[in-house]
Amino acid sequence: MSLRASIALSLGLATLPAFAESGQEWLARMGAALNNSSYVGEFVCESAERTERLAITHRVRDGVVSERLVSLAGAGRELVRENDEVVAYLPDQKLAIIERRSGRSDLMGALPQFEGRMSSWYRVDSVGHETLEDFGPAAVVTVRPLDGYRFGYRLWIDLDTHMPVRSDLSDGSGRVIERLRFTRLHMDDDIPDSAFEPAVDRRKLRWVRQSPQSDDIAPAWRATQVPPGFRLSMSGMQSVAGSGGPVNHLVYSDGLASVSVFVQQPAAGKAPAQGTTRSGVASAFTTVVEGHQVTAVGEVPPRTLKFIATSIRPAGLAPDVRPAAAADLRD
Amino acid sequence: MTERIKEQLSAFLDGELPDPESALLLKRLERDDDLRGALSRYSLIGAVLRGEGDVPAARQVAARVSAAIAREPTRTGGFAWLPGSEALGRGVAGIAVAAGVAFGAVMLVQQVLSVKPETPVAVLARAEAPPIQPVADDTGPLDAPAEPYVTPPAAAAPVGIAPAQLANYLVAHYGYASPLVRRSVGAGLIISEIDPALAETVPAGDVPQP
Repeated sequence: MSLRASIALSLGLATLPAFAESGQEWLARMGAALNNSSYVGEFVCESAERTERLAITHRVRDGVVSERLVSLAGAGRELVRENDEVVAYLPDQKLAIIERRSGRSDLMGALPQFEGRMSSWYRVDSVGHETLEDFGPAAVVTVRPLDGYRFGYRLWIDLDTHMPVRSDLSDGSGRVIERLRFTRLHMDDDIPDSAFEPAVDRRKLRWVRQSPQSDDIAPAWRATQVPPGFRLSMSGMQSVAGSGGPVNHLVYSDGLASVSVFVQQPAAGKAPAQGTTRSGVASAFTTVVEGHQVTAVGEVPPRTLKFIATSIRPAGLAPDVRPAAAADLRD
Repeated sequence: MTERIKEQLSAFLDGELPDPESALLLKRLERDDDLRGALSRYSLIGAVLRGEGDVPAARQVAARVSAAIAREPTRTGGFAWLPGSEALGRGVAGIAVAAGVAFGAVMLVQQVLSVKPETPVAVLARAEAPPIQPVADDTGPLDAPAEPYVTPPAAAAPVGIAPAQLANYLVAHYGYASPLVRRSVGAGLIISEIDPALAETVPAGDVPQP
């Protein structure tokens, strides 16, 4: 390490523990801003593999949430959300996927309260203020997992808007694995409907609908072990593009991190898959249980996905869910 | 950071850490950013408790590090015994550690001392950007500390689901991600490359265009 780098690092470390306001207070403000504000902005998503610019338009009007996320790179992919319906436009694949989410889940709501039960697996700290080049002073809050089953966050919350203008996602070792950094953010309560129109030519796309066929039914499958704090938040049957038949969809969440588990008959004529696949900070682990393809997907470390996926059993045969022994999981 | 490392840091600042352990601690300081930050903070705490100003505190930290470097057995007599570039590199690294830690201590002490008692503390520092690492593929149980971590070679990773199918699952999962991470999941979905050959396997639905 060079002298210059060392000094720079020391400068970066020149922040002090919490003083006037707690991290939980800042998270509450941020959660309110995320849920209630309307804004237009651009941000940079950096990971080890790539750096890409995206534009976001977010509007809350009369309780209806609309959001449009656009890749500013050549592919022109978009994600448009209108309340419980999400459409992924993938023009480079000439494909559009419509997903209608079950309306009964509470997971789209506010951030969880990091008190009581949550404090057993996350620690929240306000670590001072830092100046961001594009935004000025921001409150810095860390959300650190107390075990290796979830990711941690370092958040820069704008003092005026309470929006998270930068967030560093880190793994259990504290290594930053993704950084989202706003380069432009404008709060706007008058965003027109036209701002949520995709730029792609819809007529040239093949449309695939993924919709729930039933939800909140008694799950046919369930996990027999989950990391501490994870609970079943939703279960239902739905269609998923590329799957031959209906898919069991289970969602486990600790309030901040969530894992979707998909259980389905393996596609005819295809060898069952086993292993890990990644997409940004989200990963998937797939395996075969009782002749079914079980795939866990979520923004958690791959070991968490494997932990849950390999414990999936038919509900009739499964014993009561067994949380991982907390004493074995602390770092 | 373990309790033992914390004790070592504290003993080091008090000048009570044996030379062999000081040498090991220096090696860790060279490669561990968090440890250097901790050393700066510990020195700050000590300075504040002693009622010292910035310059004495910084000098003391720099002196401790420099003295430990000088006492390190493998470096006795200077750097000449090492091959040229390696010697220079180790020397610069050691100096950088000393300077960095001391400078950090100066900044911390200055900030604390410059704050008037009636003024709410608001520490302004320019945000730094630590390097971004790939997501670890480790799927092993958590029965051992997370460090040290060695990224397994890509060829050893088993084959998972096809990227196109992962995209389908991510669209289904997106609505269940919490507000804090939903943007990450969405960004990953529209950034990730999908193998066109695999995408063709997705059957067309009968959904009319909106």
